[in-house]
Amino acid sequence: MSGPGLGWEAIAVGDGIGPVVDEIDYRRVIMSPATTLDYFPGHFDPEYARSVGHPTIFVNTMHLMGFVDRVALAPFGPTAFVRRRTIKLRHPVYAGDTITATGRVVDKCLTEALDALPLRGVVELDVAVQNQHEVLCCEARIRLLLTLPGPLPSGPRH
Amino acid sequence: MNDPTGFGLAFGAYEDACAMVGTRTDPVVADFPVDWGMVKHFCAMVHDGNRAYWDEEWATQTWGGILSPPAMAMTWMMPIVWRPDAAEVAPRLAAQVPLPGASLINVSNDAEFWAPILAGARLTMTEELVDVSPEKRTVLGVGHFVSVRSWIRTTPDQQLVATITNTLFRFSPGSTS
Repeated sequence: MSGPGLGWEAIAVGDGIGPVVDEIDYRRVIMSPATTLDYFPGHFDPEYARSVGHPTIFVNTMHLMGFVDRVALAPFGPTAFVRRRTIKLRHPVYAGDTITATGRVVDKCLTEALDALPLRGVVELDVAVQNQHEVLCCEARIRLLLTLPGPLPSGPRH
Repeated sequence: MNDPTGFGLAFGAYEDACAMVGTRTDPVVADFPVDWGMVKHFCAMVHDGNRAYWDEEWATQTWGGILSPPAMAMTWMMPIVWRPDAAEVAPRLAAQVPLPGASLINVSNDAEFWAPILAGARLTMTEELVDVSPEKRTVLGVGHFVSVRSWIRTTPDQQLVATITNTLFRFSPGSTS
């Protein structure tokens, strides 16, 4: 289970994240429609996948979003909140692939609270996922809101 | 034309699709509430041990309940594909866009989250077709990029929890022109 995560002062722009390696077998791919209710046949029918130009079935977008969210949130703990995620899908992740995610902190600042959440710090990260052939499969920019206990720290504000 | 995707794709010309840009759906209420069991299955898929998804007592103290992974926001709006009354499942807006292509693949997704999505919440969604590109050629075939923006809210209080813009490529497999 996830731990408490980094404190605000320990986070610096340029910090690296990962690598996080994940082996995607057929069961993991079939779990895409099973757990997200996305029944596009490219995620469960190899014959269909081949008919539209793929070598076999591939994971869906929600699977990749869940993976990059996991990678991005892990260093900051379960009180971090995904405020925004932009993901570009460059190459499918097929059954049998091994994917590796690496990331980097690209911004750190303070922001005003959302109506639904207390005042938070902001960390932005870039996360890239490659397959075993070092082909870029997807790239994401993720903005996290972090809990800041106590008085508001000094620093740049958005 | 036969639709092997099961999404109820509409077929037509690019001009027909352009005429739909700006179309906004009425709010659709989810068939089922945000479900902790499904959250755990999803986390098993991506090997995510985040305590907010697994530890009910901690999550309730911290977030007010078990948190839905943000990547599942669209899952909660997926229609049930069969009903005992044989009622037809209404296709999502992206599938209703009339285009020549018989297949599709997602290319990008931009999601903003405004509040936690908690287990037990019943969500509602409104969609708007925001763009259909002219014909493009890719390694998969010739087709069009289709962008749909979604607003997801809780019911009955209508609190906005997520806005999502998804772009897919609707293409004719193997086509070269």
